[in-house]
Amino acid sequence: MFVYSPLFWYNRNKLIFMIKLVNVSKSYLRGVKILRDINLYIEAGEFVSLVGQSGSGKTSLVKILIGEERVDDGRVIIGDWDITKISRREVPYLRRQIGVIFQDFKLLPQKTLWENVAFALEVCGQPPSKIEKIVSSVMRLVGLEDKKDRYPHEVSGGEQQRTAIARSLVHQPKILLADEPTGNLDSINANEIIDLLVRINKFGTTVILVTHNREIVNHLKKRVIAIEKGSVVSDREKSKYSL
Amino acid sequence: MFLSTIRIIKFSLQDISRNVWLTIATITILVLALLSVNTLVTVEVLSRHAIDAVKEKVDISLYLKADASDEQVASLKTQISQMAKVKQVLYTSKADALRYFREKNKDNPEVLTALRELGRNPLSPSLIITPNNVEEAPQLINEIKQIKSEVIESRDFADNALILEKINDITKKISEVGLIIISIFIFTSMLVAYNSIKVAIYTHRREIEIMRLVGASNNFIYLPFVLSAIIYAFLGVLIIIILFYPFLGILQPYLEVFFMDYNINIIEYFVNNFWLIFGLQFVAVSLISILSSWLAIRRYAKV
Repeated sequence: MFVYSPLFWYNRNKLIFMIKLVNVSKSYLRGVKILRDINLYIEAGEFVSLVGQSGSGKTSLVKILIGEERVDDGRVIIGDWDITKISRREVPYLRRQIGVIFQDFKLLPQKTLWENVAFALEVCGQPPSKIEKIVSSVMRLVGLEDKKDRYPHEVSGGEQQRTAIARSLVHQPKILLADEPTGNLDSINANEIIDLLVRINKFGTTVILVTHNREIVNHLKKRVIAIEKGSVVSDREKSKYSL
Repeated sequence: MFLSTIRIIKFSLQDISRNVWLTIATITILVLALLSVNTLVTVEVLSRHAIDAVKEKVDISLYLKADASDEQVASLKTQISQMAKVKQVLYTSKADALRYFREKNKDNPEVLTALRELGRNPLSPSLIITPNNVEEAPQLINEIKQIKSEVIESRDFADNALILEKINDITKKISEVGLIIISIFIFTSMLVAYNSIKVAIYTHRREIEIMRLVGASNNFIYLPFVLSAIIYAFLGVLIIIILFYPFLGILQPYLEVFFMDYNINIIEYFVNNFWLIFGLQFVAVSLISILSSWLAIRRYAKV
């Protein structure tokens, strides 16, 4: 039986930096620099909150980590993979190593929760028997076994986000990027999602939480990296939201 | 691999069924484009037949005196046969000429009555000279003009080559106009296919976004749209086959009347060249559609 656990990978690599950004800079059109000389070291299995105001460059950083954007200068290394100049062909393989969730859940409305999760495996060519095992496992993990046949509009925002988390876990990612995952949720649902992320982190998955929710960050008491105008302005262990 | 292929087909069929009206519009434009192409193929075949028929008629008649001896005729025939530009020389005697004349005018009683009233055979024996190459007919006529023989009564150099030149000219113009029409239709088809795939991508934008997020390979995202394009092409060609054969069936009796004596069968031509005509069209339309989808995907799906 399949049991979600990327710990084997964590144990093998725990001595090396899981994510390493060296002097990373990125600018968009008209030469506006969105990231300036970013240096970050995130170890395997860490739970890191990335905080900053809108337009500070947090989302650009997420896009760089999932290979959607390329850096202008510097290097980006994930595990032992230098993705600085990752080719289009390699991007899908990177994304199977990194789970991503967003504020708007990105679920398909005409598919049930189960089908939404299974879709991620279907499009990667997994056989039905394997899909059945993996989807059962992750749905159990996020506590949605009994609602698997419902459609997204039939469940709460928190349950939709949990479905998105389940989908992000089907490839047993080493990293989970959560870009404002509680932005559309009330405080009860938001806390449930954060608890789930903490639980996933305990399995050994590195979790990067991008947020500007002060309460959540303060409650977590984990490492906080603050970004302002494209630069890292603070990086503290077990810190609080301090922008 | 097998599973992925099945899923690519599934996604492609989903794309077609979810955008039924778009599919119908795309296929209609493709059918119109193919209709113009096949009409031009028909015109091309008919004009080729017409030219061949006229080519067969391009001959030079040399009328001989009625009292020419067999030796004189044989000598002249040999002399002409030995000319480089001559394919064959046929001798038609006075009696043969009369027989051919009667046969040709069997439905014209006035001519036959006039002939009977004349009481004698007014026709001359002749040599019918067929050139090796129709294009060389004018030079051959010049050479024949140089022949000095007492038995030659008159020389009929009715210029069939001129008629041929005119037909060639008309065919060339039809081909040129046809090429412009085909180009316009190909361009329109490309735009329509491009637009259809663009709309299909827009309809599937969320799925595409999620596929990219969860690590679906680029081919997996790209191929359903390419397959849809091939299915559009296949359906377009299938519909044109279904529409065009009855059209040819309606056309055929008119052609038989128009090209009487020339044995033109346009249906037979399309049946004998089925794979060449429609296979080629399928490949061409598929390539156009694939190119359009590739451009649309690169532009809108960011695969």
